[in-house]
Amino acid sequence: MIRLENLHVRVGNFDLRDISLQVPRGGYALIIGPTGSGKTTLLEAVAGHAPLRAGRVFMHDDDVTDLPPERRGLGFVYQQYHLFPHLSVRDNIGYGLRSSGRRRDALDPEARIAELAGMLAIVPLLDRTVRGLSGGEQQRVALARALAPKPSILLLDEPFAAVDPATRQVLRRELRELHEREGITTLQVTHDFDEALRLGDLVAVLSEGRIAQSGSPEEVFRYPNSAFVARFVGTGNVIAGAVERTEPGDGPGPFRGRFTGGNLVLDVVAERAGPIHAVIRPEDIVLSLTPHPGSARNHMEGKVLRLERIGPVTLVHLDVGRPLIASLTTQSVDEMGIKGGAAVIVTFKATAILLV
Amino acid sequence: MPVRSLLSRVVLAALGACLVLFIVGPLLRLLFFASPQSLGEALRDTELRDSISLTVFTASVATLIAAVFGVPLAYLLARRNFPGRRLVQGLIELPVVVPHPVAGIALLLFLGRRSELGGALGQVGLEFVSHVPGIVAAMLFVSAPILVSGAREAFRGVDPQLERVARTLGDTEWGAFKRVTLPLAGRGVLAGSMLAWSRSISEFGSIVILTYNPKVASIYIFDQFTTFGLQSAVPAAVILLLVALAVLVVVRVLQPEDRQ
Repeated sequence: MIRLENLHVRVGNFDLRDISLQVPRGGYALIIGPTGSGKTTLLEAVAGHAPLRAGRVFMHDDDVTDLPPERRGLGFVYQQYHLFPHLSVRDNIGYGLRSSGRRRDALDPEARIAELAGMLAIVPLLDRTVRGLSGGEQQRVALARALAPKPSILLLDEPFAAVDPATRQVLRRELRELHEREGITTLQVTHDFDEALRLGDLVAVLSEGRIAQSGSPEEVFRYPNSAFVARFVGTGNVIAGAVERTEPGDGPGPFRGRFTGGNLVLDVVAERAGPIHAVIRPEDIVLSLTPHPGSARNHMEGKVLRLERIGPVTLVHLDVGRPLIASLTTQSVDEMGIKGGAAVIVTFKATAILLV
Repeated sequence: MPVRSLLSRVVLAALGACLVLFIVGPLLRLLFFASPQSLGEALRDTELRDSISLTVFTASVATLIAAVFGVPLAYLLARRNFPGRRLVQGLIELPVVVPHPVAGIALLLFLGRRSELGGALGQVGLEFVSHVPGIVAAMLFVSAPILVSGAREAFRGVDPQLERVARTLGDTEWGAFKRVTLPLAGRGVLAGSMLAWSRSISEFGSIVILTYNPKVASIYIFDQFTTFGLQSAVPAAVILLLVALAVLVVVRVLQPEDRQ
């Protein structure tokens, strides 16, 4: 388990603040955020490389805040791998099994190196130097090196950033399998929300040194709590505007209202009035060629700008006085005969509009 | 190839060649000026042999002292950001710009028997002026900056992230230094030490003021030249040149190849 309590780290002029996060034992958490949001700094703080100005770091109920990195019992895989250039692949993997601070009786180095090399399919590389290894090979060696001393916690800094997409997919699957086999509590940094959806049990979105939102990847994706998160995780259409109340009364709780954003006026269910962002998920938008009967309150005419076919799903780029993206199955797009330039009726429920 | 580009290459090559010839020319002339016979005779001269052994010994001691104090300093300068780092860096490089006789006079005032430090050290039997420790002191003064800057660059060439990786793999700070930094920087540190050593071998200006006798090789050559003339100075000069060239070759072999 990793528990971070109100961390504050300063690196140069950059502040990482109010970071609280808990990754359960054996869990897989992802920190996502744009470049410069403080992701790597956060990992360095967990590892003990970046001094804390405030806050505590717990690992499996032990307060490790004041422990140096070598006594935290963790593995760290860096974005650029940082294999030791003066050592062979075998000695790189075995490095942590022979380190000064570790008990010598714990693991048989040769057996552990062979086990990991087998798992990661790098046995033929063992006696090579690390020069000339491909990105994917370096990544596997770096992973094996970090896992060799059987850390109970694994930190990964954009581990797939420097490999080609095909290798990335394979490595992702292997990493998830390794995680399950070794039962390591894992904290990974990425700027790719797709990775979070595929790998993580828990995701924290970082923005300018603070956690903007954390929760299960599905929850963060479906219910972003801010326009920033909605845009970053790609929830869908984010429209800036304001809400006014249309039903009488001023009591607490949800009320019917009207959202105005540019020339778009929508019926919504809101909890507060005033400036706000409306988030509409592409899959909640219904398209039809004729007006659609039913309870949906928001109808508008739109024009199809272009179709973006992604296998079984097609994204329909629309103009409804402002750009809007709808997501349909490719089959229904073909059945309806929707083409670029077509006029369509765009419909969505008031309750499908998330106000953040 | 365009004419202009060809012309500029020829001009650049000619300029470079002039300078290289100017350096190689005199040394080749010196090497061939001495007959093998005169070199053999010179090597049998005990005074020359003594002065060469004295030079090698004192330069080695000076390099060892510079390494013991200088390598940790070089590591600090390369890795740590502490207040006054730039000042320390500037101070350590001072001897490079101080004319060597000036350094000799400064050392004489600092370590001479009339100074407080020199007096105190003299009390415990450590005499500098006209003694071997004076040679070591002068060599240390002029060669330490070379060792420190060589070692500093060698440490800078080691990615600090590698040390961090070593720490997360269970090494203490010292363990990471021993197993990662030192093996990676070792050749560079050694090359810096060899350069400092050869700088010591070649020192004349400050030693001549501090300790004329016993004579190191450079002073011996100067003495032969002023007392007996050119013919007497050449064999000793050739032998010292060969020692220096040997060091240069070793340094070239040790120095890591240029990074791509």
